[in-house]
Amino acid sequence: MIHFLAMVLLAACVSLVFGVIGRATTSEQWRYGLRVFVEFVGVGLGLAWLLYWIP
Amino acid sequence: MAEIEEGRSGAWLSGFLAWLVPGAGHVWQGRWGRGLLLGGVVWAMFVIGVWGFGGRLFDPLNDGASNALERVYGLFDLGMGALYVLGWATGIGFVDRAELSTYEYGNAFLMVGGLLNYLVMLDAFDLGVGRKA
Repeated sequence: MIHFLAMVLLAACVSLVFGVIGRATTSEQWRYGLRVFVEFVGVGLGLAWLLYWIP
Repeated sequence: MAEIEEGRSGAWLSGFLAWLVPGAGHVWQGRWGRGLLLGGVVWAMFVIGVWGFGGRLFDPLNDGASNALERVYGLFDLGMGALYVLGWATGIGFVDRAELSTYEYGNAFLMVGGLLNYLVMLDAFDLGVGRKA
């Protein structure tokens, strides 16, 4: 559980910085930051699921 | 022409300040909100990495490193500027606590924090030269 929480916390930090420096307007920054966050967590969960099947 | 030169030197200074104290480059430009937000994230990652998860900072010049990758990790950590230098001078964050189950998470927070601060530094420079509005 702590592994997942650490990943979510890391994703939040990274997406916050990416969102602010990656786009110009506030609404674009929110959208981009949220997208990065969802992709970060989604890819993390996907990889974790894939690794589950590898002995 | 003199104004352009002045703008460029200001951009270099704000880039350097952004590296030295995370967030300071933007604050120096008068972008308080952006500086406090971006700097706050990097500072928070340092605190979480060292005290929250028990991670450590690496030395890029350490000849006795057991793993050559540690030098690369050190370059990542170095992105935190004064936080890294302060840690190096006082020993804070340079203690190996590999026995902790969250040790690797802490290392990841410190390395990613350093890398993010390199991006913040470039952002401050770009804003200074007018590449970004």
